[in-house]
Amino acid sequence: MPTPFHIPRILRPYCDGHEFVPLEGQTVRDVLQHLRREYPRLHGSLCDETGAVRRHIHLFVNSDFIGQRSGLDTPLQPGDVVSVFQAVSGG
Amino acid sequence: MAERILISIGTRKGLFVAEGAKTRRKFTLRGPFGGGIGVYSTLVDARGTPRVYASSCNPFFGMKILVSKDLGNTFQETASAPAFPEGDGRALANIWSLEAGPGKKELWCGVEPAALFRSTDAGQSWELVGGISNHEHARQWHPGNGGLCLHTIVRDGQRMHLGISTGGHYLSQDGGKTFAASNAGVGAGFVPDPYPEFGQCVHKIAPARQVPGRLYMQNHGGWAEWHGPGGPRPEIGVLRSDDHGQTWHSIAKGLPSDFGFPIVVHPHNPDVVYVVPLDPMTRVCPHGAPAVWRSQNGGQSWQKLSRGFPKKETYFTVLRDAMTIDELKNPALYFGTTNGQLWLGREGGEEWECLFDSLPGIHCVKVAVV
Repeated sequence: MPTPFHIPRILRPYCDGHEFVPLEGQTVRDVLQHLRREYPRLHGSLCDETGAVRRHIHLFVNSDFIGQRSGLDTPLQPGDVVSVFQAVSGG
Repeated sequence: MAERILISIGTRKGLFVAEGAKTRRKFTLRGPFGGGIGVYSTLVDARGTPRVYASSCNPFFGMKILVSKDLGNTFQETASAPAFPEGDGRALANIWSLEAGPGKKELWCGVEPAALFRSTDAGQSWELVGGISNHEHARQWHPGNGGLCLHTIVRDGQRMHLGISTGGHYLSQDGGKTFAASNAGVGAGFVPDPYPEFGQCVHKIAPARQVPGRLYMQNHGGWAEWHGPGGPRPEIGVLRSDDHGQTWHSIAKGLPSDFGFPIVVHPHNPDVVYVVPLDPMTRVCPHGAPAVWRSQNGGQSWQKLSRGFPKKETYFTVLRDAMTIDELKNPALYFGTTNGQLWLGREGGEEWECLFDSLPGIHCVKVAVV
């Protein structure tokens, strides 16, 4: 069952304007790989060439920051939503 | 439409474009484009239909290339930006240089970590140039304060000169396929060996197009007072080559400081060269009194140009790509400052005027007659 991946407004030009992109995978890493195949420019805005999530990008599964779970290996269950947030910038 | 002067200004908060008549009496400003995102390199490619390019260096979402085909009235993102190939292990951190190549739609791009990319379709797609990006020295270069960046690309027929901080000067003689370090006479102050094979902190290289083989370099100077291993290295900051960059010699004598970032050559007189000496510690003009210094004899002597600048209490930095010169018969200089001023130096820098005084901090300035 695909996991809805929520896209911030600023990045929607890279995914045909969609607010949610359905992505297949058992983990956050899996859905990012699917994202890379479907929308490479969107993936490039979230991850660098090595596959690492960019420093100022925070990914959440529901209300949990993946850094406080298992990072990219955080498992996904039916009904989960993955969301993209920009890290706080400024003072 | 009459020819216009177009100034492309990369700032901490996006790109601005100033346009004016060739009289340079008044410029109108538009922007910011790519709002809020730092622009570290820009290019006005005046060949054919003019195009303005800018790197949009987004700390959140990565690097993009912007292009305008309507003289900087609107900008679009190109289909892709330079990116290291999968498995390379490096990730793009910044885009420092954009230069036109010999082909009609050919562009070259210098990035951080230091590497070179080439596009043959006006920036829509990019390929890594392995001759320098995977050079045997590449993993031994170190970042300077600005990062490990390939910031200068100078083409001269089949020759190509690259400036890397801190890597030094690299020379290709086969159109950019292979490169060799070429730093004879280029000093370094931050390593025990004052004249290493490579690893210098070159700040900028500028060609004197009328004289084959003549180049000028602003290197990282400011080491006259160093008394550690290797001893003092006076006057290593401003250099000249007359043999296509094979060897370099100092022309810094007579300057108030051999530290600075930009170096600019007069478009019609190869003996006229400009620098902005900065105090090496504070990196502002000595004594808070801005001045551009000019040599009219290829670096044998220097004159201070400060008419129109504040006389004191002015503390800004002019970064490596933030000074340029137009190519009109009687050329004018332009430079941007880290505190957001854009200055115009009429009569070859004899008379200075602040065109815009409250832009965001300026990284780069390019000018063309279009």
